[in-house]
Amino acid sequence: MVEQQQVSREQLDALAREFRYVVTDAICRSGSGHIGGVMSLVEIVITLYYRVMRLRPDDPSWPERDRLVLSKGHAGPIVYTALAYKGFFPKAWLATVNQNGTRLPSHMDQILTPGVEMTAGSLGQGLSAACGMALAAKLDGKRHRVFCIIGDGESDEGQIWEAAMFAGHRQLDNLTAICDYNKMQIDGTTREVLDLEPLADKWRAFGWEVFEIDGHDWDAIYDTLARADAVTGKPAMILAHTIKGKGNRETENLVDCHNVKVPDEATYGRIMCGLECKMDLPY
Amino acid sequence: MNYHEKEMRVIYALTLNELIARNPNVLCLEADLSKADATIHEVSTKNPRNFINCGVQEANMVGVAAGLAREGKIPFCATFTAFATRRAYDQITISVAYANNNVKIVGNSPGITQGPNGGTHMCFQDLAIMRAMPNMHVYSPADANELRAVMFHMADHHQPTYMQLVRPKMPKLFDENCRFDPLSAVRLHEGSDVTLVSTGFMTRFALDAARELSAEGLRVDLLHYPSVKPFDAQALIESARRTGAVVTVENQSIIGGLGSAACEVLSEQHPVRVKRLGIPDRFGEVADQEYLFDKHGFGPKHIAKACRELARATT
Repeated sequence: MVEQQQVSREQLDALAREFRYVVTDAICRSGSGHIGGVMSLVEIVITLYYRVMRLRPDDPSWPERDRLVLSKGHAGPIVYTALAYKGFFPKAWLATVNQNGTRLPSHMDQILTPGVEMTAGSLGQGLSAACGMALAAKLDGKRHRVFCIIGDGESDEGQIWEAAMFAGHRQLDNLTAICDYNKMQIDGTTREVLDLEPLADKWRAFGWEVFEIDGHDWDAIYDTLARADAVTGKPAMILAHTIKGKGNRETENLVDCHNVKVPDEATYGRIMCGLECKMDLPY
Repeated sequence: MNYHEKEMRVIYALTLNELIARNPNVLCLEADLSKADATIHEVSTKNPRNFINCGVQEANMVGVAAGLAREGKIPFCATFTAFATRRAYDQITISVAYANNNVKIVGNSPGITQGPNGGTHMCFQDLAIMRAMPNMHVYSPADANELRAVMFHMADHHQPTYMQLVRPKMPKLFDENCRFDPLSAVRLHEGSDVTLVSTGFMTRFALDAARELSAEGLRVDLLHYPSVKPFDAQALIESARRTGAVVTVENQSIIGGLGSAACEVLSEQHPVRVKRLGIPDRFGEVADQEYLFDKHGFGPKHIAKACRELARATT
């Protein structure tokens, strides 16, 4: 499949529920994982993979495909879920997230996982790589888009701002970045630890077109990705206001849901019960 | 062209143009030191589309290179050794080596050749830290012809690589059509009394010492290692079996670099006496070559002295 099909609002809602259920189970099976920053990206990742990005699951290196770099590599499992559902690899792989010998490690690995464009996990590096991929497309006269998801905590890294300056200077208008602005980082709120504000002004000052949206609003995500595509002469940054741990009563209410420990069946049961639904697992 | 009449950095730039002519995917990345790397005149004027100046952003340059490499480009990223390696070490580790992206890191002015810039710029540990990185090859060519051979090899092989680039002119050691094989050390002087191991900038001085000792009747087996990693263990073991003693010399700290690579092989496979020459556990300073050779004891006369002592001790 090349062109994305029409997906109804009901189908999107159902996908989001299913993705949250599956990815939570997959992470919990391994005993711990980055549930918070995975749940905040569900609507964004589904929109990219089901409505926006041009991909060929049976040909992961199709030259004309759109690229996604998940710079906040610890949210890998939500991209793995999308890749499995789109057919890049069997859904059964999802049961192996973070297990010994897995091809789906906690952080993104371009060598291990079909459909993963760039290894990431040491924060701040993915946006630079996305700049390189966008620059390569410019050099080769190619029309595909490069997307990059960064974290808000990750934006503390100096390299993010090196890449921001580089992309602005090089006018990489084939690059769309999305900041998962869930306002939480490992040690507390972004405001407490290292305040990012005024974040939109910062990106504008670096030469980017900036959009601010509710990162769980289907229409806002889709429409803004389209508007970002129409920007010429500069890269686009979408500041997506999100909720860390979104869609799970247990994790939404945790002060620290960055890396949730699931040491026993009781904890597993409590976290799965926090989800809106219960369903059969596809593996 | 007589390459030896030109500075090594000019050879770097001219060779990049040759490589770009063969394969337009070869790119020249800089971090605001394209004057020092001589690419500003050669590459940016003749191949402007292949020349990408990132500004003073070593970390971003390496990350951008990783993305370019992922798309089939072959980026050569040059800056001074200190900034090329230790400043961007995690970026090289994850975005290049761990991800196996085909990026070439080039460290200009290694070791004491940073003379006038002093201790902040003198990097004595780049061979050590780059050698410790899995999936990374580490090269240090000794003259203009070998530099060209190494660069052609780098462009033709998908392999994350670090290369030391000596900046000034170097005397001719190799023929114009010399071959480079990262798995093979090069014997530049044959002997059976003592093995001398060198790389990069120090090989010319090691050869001077070997010739001087030859006149005294001491026969030095000089092995030049254009590749410090992979390291040709067999050549060293074979030589050590004949000589029974090994002197190593490098324009680097004696901790972790060429001497350490030799010791790792010998201690496990053929233990013999070894003397490592280079910089002891110290930082650099503003000084010229002779001063630093004497201060740290690894110039031609120190090499000759160490060879004499080890040969005497083992006979």
